[in-house]
Amino acid sequence: MSYLVCVLLFGLMVGSVGVAWNPSPYFAAMGLVMVSGVGCGVLICFGGSFLPLVFFLIYLGGMMVVFAFSAALSAEPYPYGWGNRSVKMYVAAYVLGVGCAWKVLLGKWSGFWGGILDESGELLVLRGDMMGVAAMHDVAGWMLVLGGLGLLLTLFVVLELVRGVSRGGLRTV
Amino acid sequence: MTPIQMTFSTNFLLGLMGLTFHRTHLLSALLRLESMMLSLFLATSLWALQLSTINIATVPMLVLAFSACSASSGLRLLVATARTHGSDHMQNLNLLQC
Repeated sequence: MSYLVCVLLFGLMVGSVGVAWNPSPYFAAMGLVMVSGVGCGVLICFGGSFLPLVFFLIYLGGMMVVFAFSAALSAEPYPYGWGNRSVKMYVAAYVLGVGCAWKVLLGKWSGFWGGILDESGELLVLRGDMMGVAAMHDVAGWMLVLGGLGLLLTLFVVLELVRGVSRGGLRTV
Repeated sequence: MTPIQMTFSTNFLLGLMGLTFHRTHLLSALLRLESMMLSLFLATSLWALQLSTINIATVPMLVLAFSACSASSGLRLLVATARTHGSDHMQNLNLLQC
């Protein structure tokens, strides 16, 4: 099981290097898709059931869809990828840097990792993180209302500022 | 440091470095901000799962909601930039010359 977590963590690192260093935003969005998929797998390996699904749904189904069609606004006829000659050295430098940091800081693994902790000693269908999110509706109810109001406010801010003509943030184009 | 802590810390720092040093497109800056947010979500979710502090599981949900707000505002700015400047190249945003 910890080998699976190691493979997923490796995928997370490759994806994050891909997002951090990519000359074209098309491929950086692909890297973010990979990171969110693999991150969902990592959270599942550590015992979550609801949080990884929320992560997958909101990142891939919500944000990446919007980023993907906004990538049309930053279109280039010949986007640079990792295979370009001028780009390979930078990628090698990033990977080497990450590898050196891992070797130095992770020389001795300290602490217990990879296990799934559980509070109750029984087999339950709903795991702990589902209960935690349920607390958001119960104890942290006002925070939920505040978050919803913030999202509604953001919607109106975005609509108002992209309005154009004479009353928005854009001049007539 | 355990490998999982190293992973999400490196993820955050890589996103931050990409945001600082590679400034060609506005959209890639927004994507690196999203990768930083993603690493924060992973970190707080793993906090809730690993240390059995179940109530902290509300933190990743709320942080995700507010990061969606910031991502939408950034994309709104991207659309505005593309409509006024034609593309989202950061070097075109040079009206303010101090």
